[in-house]
Amino acid sequence: MALLEESFKKRAPVSGRFGRSVLLPVGLAILVIVAWQVLCERMRIPPILLPSPSAVWRVLQSNYVILLGEAVPTAAESVLSFVIASALGVALAVSLTFSVWVREALFPNIVMFQLIPKIALAPLFIVWLGVGEKTSTVVAVFIALFPVVVSSATGLVSAKPETLQLCRSLAASEWQVFRMVRFPYAMPFIFAGMKVGVTMVMIGVVVGEFITVQKGLGYIIMFAAGAGETATVLAAIVLLCVIGLALYGVVELAERAVRHWYGGQMPVGGVI
Amino acid sequence: MSVESPGATTVALPADAPILGPSLRRLRPIVLPLATAAGMLLFWQFAAALLRVPAVVLPTPAEIGSELWQELPALIGNAVPTTRDTLAAFFAATVLGVGLAVAISYSPLLRDTLYPNLVLLQLVPKVALAPLFVIWLGIGSSSRVAFAGFVSFFPVVIAAAVGFAGSEPAALRLCRSLTGSDWRCFVLVRFPFALPAIFSGMKVAMTMAVIGVVIGEFISSQAGLGFYILNAGARLNTAEVFAALVVLCALGVALYGLVALTERVVRRVYGRH
Repeated sequence: MALLEESFKKRAPVSGRFGRSVLLPVGLAILVIVAWQVLCERMRIPPILLPSPSAVWRVLQSNYVILLGEAVPTAAESVLSFVIASALGVALAVSLTFSVWVREALFPNIVMFQLIPKIALAPLFIVWLGVGEKTSTVVAVFIALFPVVVSSATGLVSAKPETLQLCRSLAASEWQVFRMVRFPYAMPFIFAGMKVGVTMVMIGVVVGEFITVQKGLGYIIMFAAGAGETATVLAAIVLLCVIGLALYGVVELAERAVRHWYGGQMPVGGVI
Repeated sequence: MSVESPGATTVALPADAPILGPSLRRLRPIVLPLATAAGMLLFWQFAAALLRVPAVVLPTPAEIGSELWQELPALIGNAVPTTRDTLAAFFAATVLGVGLAVAISYSPLLRDTLYPNLVLLQLVPKVALAPLFVIWLGIGSSSRVAFAGFVSFFPVVIAAAVGFAGSEPAALRLCRSLTGSDWRCFVLVRFPFALPAIFSGMKVAMTMAVIGVVIGEFISSQAGLGFYILNAGARLNTAEVFAALVVLCALGVALYGLVALTERVVRRVYGRH
């Protein structure tokens, strides 16, 4: 049945499909929020367990000065650690792929590092760096670095052999091959790694703020949870989501811009 | 989209330099990384000893080893609740995730409604919800299992939904024209086609489950490796932190290996697709 409906859908007018693909999910989200609100009011759920969406909104409205003030360091840490992790990750991947020996020696170890729960190292960074913003930034860089390295390195060696052979037979220098073939081919992989990196950066920054508890939205969350102010926790989470999605959106936009720059010739869907 | 698994990108890189003899060359992909790791440990040992780095800041691998040996019973005792919670969260996430993905793959309405929201939730920093789970479920292991399950659920749904959507239309049509029932088509075509994607989602889920349980133990627990690490860190016993980390890494790799092994077995049963 699904297949039939699928073929019907393909024939549906574009505007109808757009309406469906946008209206349905947004409608569900609104429905969930409304049901949540009604449930909270009807069942008289204590606000410490689950505050209603309107209560969260009131906190956002009345405390926005404090919340935005704490969102600034969190956003700054996230952006900084994302930029460092991406730059460092791509640079590491490039140096990895230039030598077979270096690659074979390091790559399996890096993949291994992917698997271990690096977040558990967070308390060590407090010992090394103290309880400042530096700690959450470094924790975030540390856990976001590995997806970027692994994905970029995979991309840099995935250029088609025929294309590389063609370059070589046209006497292209190593640098030219890198700039014109390897790097463009690696672009989708690099962006895929950066997108995982964004989510990892947010985890790292929040966990760093959980355990250092000095400032930032993570601090607000821990503090409010300890005081039983669940509405404040949710309000801080809303702001965290906004920061995370904004960062992700920037990466997505950058990917589109780069794809446009390379004239849409970029191989798409390299990584699944 | 962050469906890409941390481990799934392990592409075999081509070795194109015939420098060593044939037998050595075959062993090179194994020997070289191991030798690098050993070299790094040796460098660490000598650098820490020569520079007299205080053990609080960075203990030497030898100190970590002896700490690991001494504390092994305590560490294993703490690894038990962590393993149990991780496995419980992983199974819950896998069953619920694959179940929801099946539902999504059968109903286009459900897919259009749920899938964008699932992808959005996948991007959002769900870790921040950890303290709420403590408020809802208390400081027992149920809050950690629920939190870790919640975090690892999304990669499974998204990967499995992508997998079910990717089954070859030709094979499905053939199955239908041979009057296979919906159920038979599912078992014989859709499910086997989706297996690689499901397993790649499960691999991400396993690493996420470990992370979720450890974060849960950071926030509230009286036992477990996360608790042990935080406790040792607070006492500035860095060697003990590292010993616990070694156990945690071994646990993470073993659990990941378990999923990878299951994948091989299942693939053999289905005769390699």
